[in-house]
Formats: sequence, C-alpha cells, structure tokens
Amino acid sequence: MAEVRAEMVANVWKIVVAEGDTVEEGDTLVILESMKMEIPVLAEDSGVVAQLKVAEGDVIQEGHLIAVIE
Amino acid sequence: MTVLDNRTVTGDSEQESVDPRDPSARLGHLLDEGSVRPISPEDKSGVRAVTGRIEGVPVVAFCSDARVQGGAMGAEGCEHIVHAYDVAVRERVPVIGVWHSGGARLAEGVESLHAVGRVFAAMTKASGVVPQISVVVGPAAGGAAYGPALTDIVILADNGRIFVTGPDVVRSVTGEQIDMAALGGPEPHSKRSGVVHVVTKDEPEALLKARQLATLLGHQGRVREVDEADFGSLLPNNPRRAYDVHPLVNGLLDEPGVELHPKWAPNMVTTLGRLGGRTVGVVANNPMRLGGCLDSTSAEKAARFVRMCDAFGVPLVVLVDVPGYLPGVGQEHDGVVRRGAKLLHAFAEASVPRVTLVTRKAYGGAYIAMNSRSLGATRVFAWPTTEVAVMGAVAAVRVLKRRELAAVSEEERPALEARLAEEHEKVAGGLQRAIDLGVIDEVIEPAKTRGTIARVIAQATPARGAHGNIPL
Repeated sequence: MAEVRAEMVANVWKIVVAEGDTVEEGDTLVILESMKMEIPVLAEDSGVVAQLKVAEGDVIQEGHLIAVIE
Repeated sequence: MTVLDNRTVTGDSEQESVDPRDPSARLGHLLDEGSVRPISPEDKSGVRAVTGRIEGVPVVAFCSDARVQGGAMGAEGCEHIVHAYDVAVRERVPVIGVWHSGGARLAEGVESLHAVGRVFAAMTKASGVVPQISVVVGPAAGGAAYGPALTDIVILADNGRIFVTGPDVVRSVTGEQIDMAALGGPEPHSKRSGVVHVVTKDEPEALLKARQLATLLGHQGRVREVDEADFGSLLPNNPRRAYDVHPLVNGLLDEPGVELHPKWAPNMVTTLGRLGGRTVGVVANNPMRLGGCLDSTSAEKAARFVRMCDAFGVPLVVLVDVPGYLPGVGQEHDGVVRRGAKLLHAFAEASVPRVTLVTRKAYGGAYIAMNSRSLGATRVFAWPTTEVAVMGAVAAVRVLKRRELAAVSEEERPALEARLAEEHEKVAGGLQRAIDLGVIDEVIEPAKTRGTIARVIAQATPARGAHGNIPL
C-alpha cells in the first residue's frame, strides 16, 4: 500500500483516475495547480487506486493525502 | 565513447567454480581484461588493491574481500586502501572502491577504528583531486558505509545495503522492526536519503556504470562538431503545462548520459554525459515534478553536482524552466534558505565553463540560482518564448497596484488587472529587457541549441575549481 501525498500547497485542478483504476508507476493520478503551473501528481508504484481523497476544486496543503494505491 | 561491459563470456561450469565474492573476480569484471596489476599482496587483510584500465583509461581500484570476516576492515586492509589512494593521487587517476564489508574489525578494537579513520582522511585529502567512485555490492555497514559516502559518486547494486547501524541494533535501541533492504537497500537510498547516486538491477550493471562514470570523469575528451537536433516540439504549447525534461537532456547529449540521483529530488535532473564527445554535466529543472520548482533537497542535490563537476573541470550546461522556489512551511523549516544557499554558492564559486539556456521561464530567486549571469555564467541563452521576471506580471501588479485595484468594482477588476499587467510587462519584464541589460546574451532557435552550446564550451578557457567535493 502506498500513500500519495501532496508535496506542496495547491488547488486540485483535474482528477485523472478513479477509484478502482489500475495504474502503472509514473501514471498521472490528478493534476494540481500551483505556482501558475499545472503539476501532475504521479503514481510512485504500480497498483490499484484504492482511495481517492480529493475532488476538483479542493485546496490542499502540503502533506494532504491524495490517494492510496494498493 | 560507448563503454562496453567487459565481462568475458564463460561457461556455466567456470562461473560456478569461482566464489562471486572473490575480489579478484570482481576487480576483473570492473577493469579491462589483462590490465589488472596488484598493488597489495594476496593476504587475509580483507582488502585487495590494484591498478588497471577502463576503456584504456588508467585507474586505481580496491575491493573488499568478503570471504574474510565478511570483508571487515582491519589495520592491514585499511593500509591497502590508503596506499591505493596514494597511488591514485600521485598518478592523478580515478579511484574506484568496490564495497562488501561489515565495517571495522571488532577483534582489533580501537586499532581498526584508527585505521578506518585513516581511510576517511585519505579520501578527504583526495577529494576534488581525483574522481572517486564507490560501488556497493553487498552490505556496507558502519565504517564501510561512510567510506562510500565520502566519495563523489555512490553506485548501489541490488544486493547492496548501506547503513550505520544494522536492523538488530535499531531494534534493540529504538524498537523499530525493519529488515536490511528496507533500512538501507535500493529503495530508501534511491528515493529518500540521497546517499546513493545510481541504483542498478544487479552487480554486473553496477560495475558497468562505474566503468562509464570513470571514463566520463577520467577521459573527458575535446568538443568536436555536433549534429543539430530539433527540440522545437518538446515543449507543450500551453506554457502552464508540465512536461518531462529528460528527452531534452538526452537530446542535448550525444547519447543518453548517466543520471545521478534520478529518483531523489526528481524536480532537478543532474546528468553526466558527452556533448560533441566532451564530458559535460547537465543541470535541468524538471517541470514534471513539483512544477520544476526549486526546493531545499533539489538545491542541495544540484549544488553537490555542480561542485563535483567544477572540481574535475567538467563544463556545465544548465537548462532552466523554473517557476520559483517552492513555497510552504515545510520548506522554510526544512532549511530552504540554508540549503538553497548551497546552490548559489556552488554556481558563484564555479570556474568551469558554464552555459545557461532558459527554455521557457525563469522567475524570482530561482532565476538567480540557476546559473544566472550575475552568478558568473559564461553565456546565457534563451529560446524565443522565454519569460524572465521576478514574478508573473499579474501576480506582480496585484502587489504593486494593490490600492488601485481595490478602488474599482469587482466586475471592472479583471480588465484593469490585465491592462496593468501589460504595462508592467513593458517596463519590468520580458525577454527584451533581459537582453538589453545583458543578463541574457542571445536568443537562439531550439534547432541551433546543440551547436551553439558546444561552440561556447569549445572556445571557453578550460578551468577547474581548486576545492574538494564535500558530500553536501
């Protein structure tokens, strides 16, 4: 099980995957918006998206849980 | 130059008859066939030291003998390592250590501690004088962990483990349950600790990487004519969109180089490779990770790389696409000021030729840190779509024109903001202003990138910094 956490304060701009999706290492899970940049959050491990803890439009803080991959 | 794996093809029966921990076998795989000459006796010291060649380049190498007390380091073995360093420094050739050792010999007590300390001192004295590469192929604990850590580049094979205190001690002192791989294997050291520069799938690949790196640092070559490559299509049309910088780094080089610390601080890419046949070090922001922002870890990673390249006379190519420093409480408390200062210091100190190319944007303090003109860049180029500013124009007018903006109604505000931003752009920002000031020398077409950078490096006066390479 791998937790994917936000590395910076950001707005959640776009959700790319859904719970239950199979992802490979390096796949984009969600796209954040911060520092005038669209910042993809990538899967660090391959697996299934067990939980998705953010919605589009959310403002998240550094360390905020974004997804859990199993 | 393509560095080939030099393992000779042998039958299965012969492979089985040789103990894979035999240092002669390991050094034989590292060095060119027939080039190995011992400089230490075949004894029970736990260390074997030799001279040899890699692709014809002379080197000194030593290897733990894990068949004797698990490769533990005693007075005699440490003497062999210190001797190897003396030879390497005298001959001015790279030195490569192959590590598989439990640390200092317990039975020798303080005598072995003293001996291990002398190895550390020899390594530190050689720092910045000759390139030092470590290949960790088995456990490297305690003193054997700090040996590699003092060198310029650490390569970890799949079975390599690096830690100061092993799982048993960790468990007895802190109660934490962890195995050797999770404590000091490839996963933690490649992603979390930054102890290891290169992780490989097995021992032969680790020795091959050491060969490539020894050749890159030990035989740097001269710049020849280069072919152009078209990078125009690499950047997304939308300037806010992230992209992976690796195709640009690899396309700039003659062939993909050796990336150091690929998974640690991945928002900054540090790669050794060749441009026109000459070794260069590439430092690049990677917008795919953290938007390419600088943060404390990436600044520290790049600073160490810049200082290593400078110490060995390797010219630098700096590819800039940076929105700024990463904001946040975590960063400030993590010492982004102290650790970011290392990058400023490293670039400002560097005497090697160093060329900057701004590909898309350079904002704020991060603009300065990425080898700007003010820090002494040899040449600064920009692709035509580049933006340079303290911050984006809209963000800037929100600060500068706060009162003016507050005075109008909310409906009118976006239009006023856009007009003020445009005016601000004219006086304060933009590429033209940077060129007028001389902080960017020239705008170049992406399709002329390789030739332009190669020419600057070829024409620059070769130089190298007179300093060691402290493991920042």
